[in-house]
Amino acid sequence: MKSTNSMNSTNAMNPKKAIYNMNETLKYSYYPGCSLHASAGEYDLSTRELFKQLSIGLTEVPDWFCCGATPAHNVDELLSLSLCAKNLEMAEQVEGDLAVACAACFSRLKTTQHVLAESDVKRKQVEKAIDAPLKLDGKVKHLLEILARDLGLERLAASVKKPLSGLKVACYYGCLLTRPPDVTNLDCVEAPTIMEDVLKAVGAETVAWSHRMECCGANFTLSRPGVVIQLTNAILESAKEAGADCVMVACPLCHGNLDIRQKEIEGVYSVNYGLPVFYITQLVGLACGLTADKLGLGALIVNPMPLLKEKQLL
Amino acid sequence: MIISQSTMDVDFVRKVEALSGTSVRRCFQCGKCSAGCPMATFMEHPPNRVVRLLQLGQWQRILAGRSIWYCASCETCSTRCPNKVHLASIMDALRKLSWDAEGPSKESYVQLANKLFLQNIRTYGRQYEMRLAAVFNVKSGQFLKDLMLGPKLISKGKLKMFHSKNKNLPEIEKIFTRIEEMRKKGEAL
Repeated sequence: MKSTNSMNSTNAMNPKKAIYNMNETLKYSYYPGCSLHASAGEYDLSTRELFKQLSIGLTEVPDWFCCGATPAHNVDELLSLSLCAKNLEMAEQVEGDLAVACAACFSRLKTTQHVLAESDVKRKQVEKAIDAPLKLDGKVKHLLEILARDLGLERLAASVKKPLSGLKVACYYGCLLTRPPDVTNLDCVEAPTIMEDVLKAVGAETVAWSHRMECCGANFTLSRPGVVIQLTNAILESAKEAGADCVMVACPLCHGNLDIRQKEIEGVYSVNYGLPVFYITQLVGLACGLTADKLGLGALIVNPMPLLKEKQLL
Repeated sequence: MIISQSTMDVDFVRKVEALSGTSVRRCFQCGKCSAGCPMATFMEHPPNRVVRLLQLGQWQRILAGRSIWYCASCETCSTRCPNKVHLASIMDALRKLSWDAEGPSKESYVQLANKLFLQNIRTYGRQYEMRLAAVFNVKSGQFLKDLMLGPKLISKGKLKMFHSKNKNLPEIEKIFTRIEEMRKKGEAL
């Protein structure tokens, strides 16, 4: 972590502000990924607002481009590695570790670092493709790690203004945050707790449920939506059975499938889930006192307002 | 069918192993990969059988089907394999070889989506979901697919209609062309 000298004498004398001062030493470069500039605008908005509220620095990498996501590595690994390597090189120009919001981008960038560190052949090919020396030592971190580890649960808890008491949340990890473990290095691969830890720190309840690490079908939403409907239905069903009021995700693709397709799924299976699907930054931001507007809650397809009003969180 | 030396194409399998950096010979068919695979029900050859067919040099049977295109790259198989066979990477390698050969796979929608996705990177630098979905519907002949979602997504500001020009477009184009040149010269698979 590159740190900056932000402690100044006036704030040091004010113990109430001291918590926020400590956070100012946290600075990140930011790779939002394509979805956050299109269908997942509320994830981008709530991330920026939450980080501002927590006094964590966030600077977007200028003119970053697509990491290639699943389609690139599916058919052309060299292209996928090269696109990611170039983005990593650009991120090096911005101060701080690289903060990534999307689980798919996170997975691709980390995989690139992992593969190129291990294979000399691929390393040389990628160096030739991007015509630049490779920079692989910069740390790539998902927002979850930043909140739970860099900021830390104690400091996060100290920033809470409105605990999410009584809200029962099903934390959905999906695939790429934890798998494969030697690449993502995020948490225990079969029984992670990092999402639950963050939510408990902001006062919410979490439910134990079976499908938190099952695949939602991700980008089959474009090519084979039938696959997504079947897989996502099982996830929503499991969350509902466990007594959750809502689902929380940390990936725009998971969100698209669980939220945007939920009504369609209810129709296909003649059920009624009515489960709002929040991004992690929206729920943490709500607890930290941010308004619905600043968190982009109005952009969610399954309307979360009735639930939040019922729990007196708005 | 009788499997003999003459029915086995081992060169192809070696290529898969080189691309994926993993050995198919390590697999002892425990079936953990297929047990955990969320997509196995959509495949004619579940993951463990894909590896078995590779061990037997029967790769044509894999490429002719849709199994490799129905893999979601969720990495569950690679994570749980007791013998460290990186099956998700084997799937990537198989798809690449099938893609390059414009193989006879039955699954065309996934390939079309991949193609449009990669074209978008080359042309715009980033993905614009609306364009991606619209072009996919036209090219796949499914004009009404997900039409009902459109107005809702637009009203929620989720489908960006216009996009800004990425300053790195020339750099992206260079990456694509350099890789093409390396392949022409035989410097990369």
